[in-house]
Amino acid sequence: MRAYVARRLLLLIPTLIGMSILTFGVSNLTPGDPAFAFASRLASRPATPDEVAEARKDLGLEGGLVPRYFRWAGRALQGDLGISFSTRLPVRPELVERARFTLQLAVPAALLSLLIAIPVGIVSAVRRNRLTDQVLRVVTLAGASVPSFWLALLLIVVLAVKWGLVPSAGRGGAESYLLPVLTLAMAPAAVLARFTRSAVLETLSSDYVVTARAKGAREAVVVGRHALRNALVPLVTAMGTSLGALIGGAAVVETVFVWPGIGRLLVEAILQRDYPVIAGIVLYSGAVFAVISLVVDLLYAVIDPRIRLVAER
Amino acid sequence: MRDEHFRIRATGALGRFQLSHLRKIGFVLVFSLVAAACGGGDDGGGGTDQAAQPAVNQVLTVGAGEDQFVREGTSANLGVQPVNANIAETLTYLTPNYEVRPMLAERWEFRAPNTWRFFLRPNVRFHDGSPLNAQAVKTTLFDRVAQQRGGGTIKAGPNSAVVVNDLTIDFTPTAPNYRVPEQVVHPSNVVYAPGTDTGNKPVGTGPFKFVEYAPKERLVVERNSDYWGEEAKLSRITYRFFPDANARRLALEAGDVDVVLGVSGPDVKGLKSRGFEVMNSPVGSYQAIYANILGGPPHDLLKEVAVRDAINLAIDRRQLVEGVLEGQATADQTMIPPQALGRYRNKITGTPFDQNRARSVLDAAGWRPGADGIREKNGRKLTLQLISGFGGAEVHKPVPTYLQSELRKVGIGIDIVERPDSASYQSLIDSGSGDLFLERGSQNDANVGFLPTLLFYTGGSGASAQYTKLFAPGPRFDEILTPAVTEPDADKTQSIVADAMHQLIDVDKVVIPLAGLFQMYGMKKTVQGFTPHPSTISLRWDTVSVGTGR
Repeated sequence: MRAYVARRLLLLIPTLIGMSILTFGVSNLTPGDPAFAFASRLASRPATPDEVAEARKDLGLEGGLVPRYFRWAGRALQGDLGISFSTRLPVRPELVERARFTLQLAVPAALLSLLIAIPVGIVSAVRRNRLTDQVLRVVTLAGASVPSFWLALLLIVVLAVKWGLVPSAGRGGAESYLLPVLTLAMAPAAVLARFTRSAVLETLSSDYVVTARAKGAREAVVVGRHALRNALVPLVTAMGTSLGALIGGAAVVETVFVWPGIGRLLVEAILQRDYPVIAGIVLYSGAVFAVISLVVDLLYAVIDPRIRLVAER
Repeated sequence: MRDEHFRIRATGALGRFQLSHLRKIGFVLVFSLVAAACGGGDDGGGGTDQAAQPAVNQVLTVGAGEDQFVREGTSANLGVQPVNANIAETLTYLTPNYEVRPMLAERWEFRAPNTWRFFLRPNVRFHDGSPLNAQAVKTTLFDRVAQQRGGGTIKAGPNSAVVVNDLTIDFTPTAPNYRVPEQVVHPSNVVYAPGTDTGNKPVGTGPFKFVEYAPKERLVVERNSDYWGEEAKLSRITYRFFPDANARRLALEAGDVDVVLGVSGPDVKGLKSRGFEVMNSPVGSYQAIYANILGGPPHDLLKEVAVRDAINLAIDRRQLVEGVLEGQATADQTMIPPQALGRYRNKITGTPFDQNRARSVLDAAGWRPGADGIREKNGRKLTLQLISGFGGAEVHKPVPTYLQSELRKVGIGIDIVERPDSASYQSLIDSGSGDLFLERGSQNDANVGFLPTLLFYTGGSGASAQYTKLFAPGPRFDEILTPAVTEPDADKTQSIVADAMHQLIDVDKVVIPLAGLFQMYGMKKTVQGFTPHPSTISLRWDTVSVGTGR
């Protein structure tokens, strides 16, 4: 097991290097001059050639793409992700700070989505093709399809503007978490519920479930102990993907709810052609997904003792 | 066993209860959500019709746009730009009508050949208690700007500022610049207390003092009780940043903020119907098309003045303003805000709407309607690429579509190319890839010659090479505009620039103005004393107060 984990962690290095090359290359080849964007923003009008030249020098954009990549990569190896083109502050502390805000939403949203998804999925599977199942399937389909910006605005209009129950946006007390967490949790809850339903349905028709029923086990035990546990492996994979997306930052939700997380930072960075921040966020997201993927793989072995993790030789 | 049995029965009963009631509750909830979302028009707490008494707590929350403060370097501008919290002040002030008024400088004078002398206001103190004097102005304004390449718009050099006495300072630009008092109104030229950390804790002379800043969330300032002018009415202002315009409006409707900056046209009616005030500033921005008159094939069709003339004639600006922009603009054709041109604004006549004449002009130029209605000449179709636009394509919608339909009526085809932000738009300017370039621009200082010089002038330095290589009208325009560069008198400069704009718009037709735009501010009716400014970065908050309503 240790060898497996070590190998997976080592694999992170070439993955992140590949991602950094791709990100650095693509963002630098995107149309638009970050020096112009920076200088124009400062001037509140199209920048003059002098202002653009000044900005180019300030932002370290002089020289070719390859030498700039190696300069950046050399510093990144020492933990220095460069200086933001927009704020002129170091990227790494900014990323850490923003990731903290994102986690404040992502963790409760992930928990809430699980709390909704698993019972809904089980009920839907157990009551297959009955009215309850039909209704839940429609609701989960709607939940998975509704765009988050629309849901966010709808929740603001109803709960903040009409009823005045919660603030419309911004970080504050516990009540300020309600709308963004609800919005964030909706799509993964719907997707996971559908996943749970199909996974439980599949196991409900398995021989061991039939055997358990034949032996007179109560339905709750059949579903909870036999069906659900065996359905967990695909479910954990889906959870991992959802959690990765949540921790990676939800740009729309963070923008609408004025939540200064990673997603919002990425949107701002793209619009400002803030290459160091874009590269930093991609590295962060890549690392998050890789770690979650590793955790998911490790969980397989915990959930299903038949699965053994070994390092390939 | 009994316990377990009981639990199972209880759970079953609860389950049945939940199922039947949850269905009802769910139905009611969904119905309420939809009904509430679809409803509207009622008073959403927009305050009262009258605001008679001042509130005990003079506290205001402002909903601003994206937090774009720079935190480090010579450009650090926390609390100054783009949200001006009135922490630090400039030597001169830009009024909403584009007049220059004294601020930290009581008066100023031009001293030939190229020096401006500023006489500072006495008895002014920074928030840290230190006095405003010529040395502070030298260090934190002129020497700071001199560190920027080219010395900023004012052309400051390391030896430009000379302290004459405690309250007098001379400024000599590195190149002739007769527009300095008009330029230093811009908040990038504020004066700080010496030693101020301008990116983290700005200290100025303004009516409000810095309190706290949470990046991307809020900036808080409080009243400066030792202000040199009339003390601010508000004790505290919190600026909250809402990048999304819808969220900003909803925050106002929810009562989370008292004022929002940058209301969009479609939101105006809704806000007013819910009992909120929407105030318009005088015109300070414009929407216009620049014609690529110097492009190579395939972007060389606009070299023909007749085509530019026809485009101008084919656009119904009244319909554009009333129908497309929902009345939230004016049909001005000056590009530069009319009031900035003073009494010379009428020198720019603009082009009347006349699609029959547009067709005649094109007929006379040899452009004949093709089978698909688009005109042709020598086997070439009159189809133009419209690039939308500076400031991002989103802010221009649906104007490009309207232009496309209007121009098609006279046989001109338009392909719309949208760019999501100014940087990617600029890359098309750089490469000259396009025929018509749709822009929004703002006048943020009192130097009326700045934009025409930056974008179209080839007679001296300071122009944008990328713009002039596509849009420079040529020697006649340069000849008219050149005296403005060396004219210290503001009135004469207005006259010269108006002549140049007449040449640019009415004669050369390089710029096709569409509309004059104003800034729109939404607020609760309890907010009093707010003066809408066409340049958001010059807003003043010291006259604002909060009433209690009826």
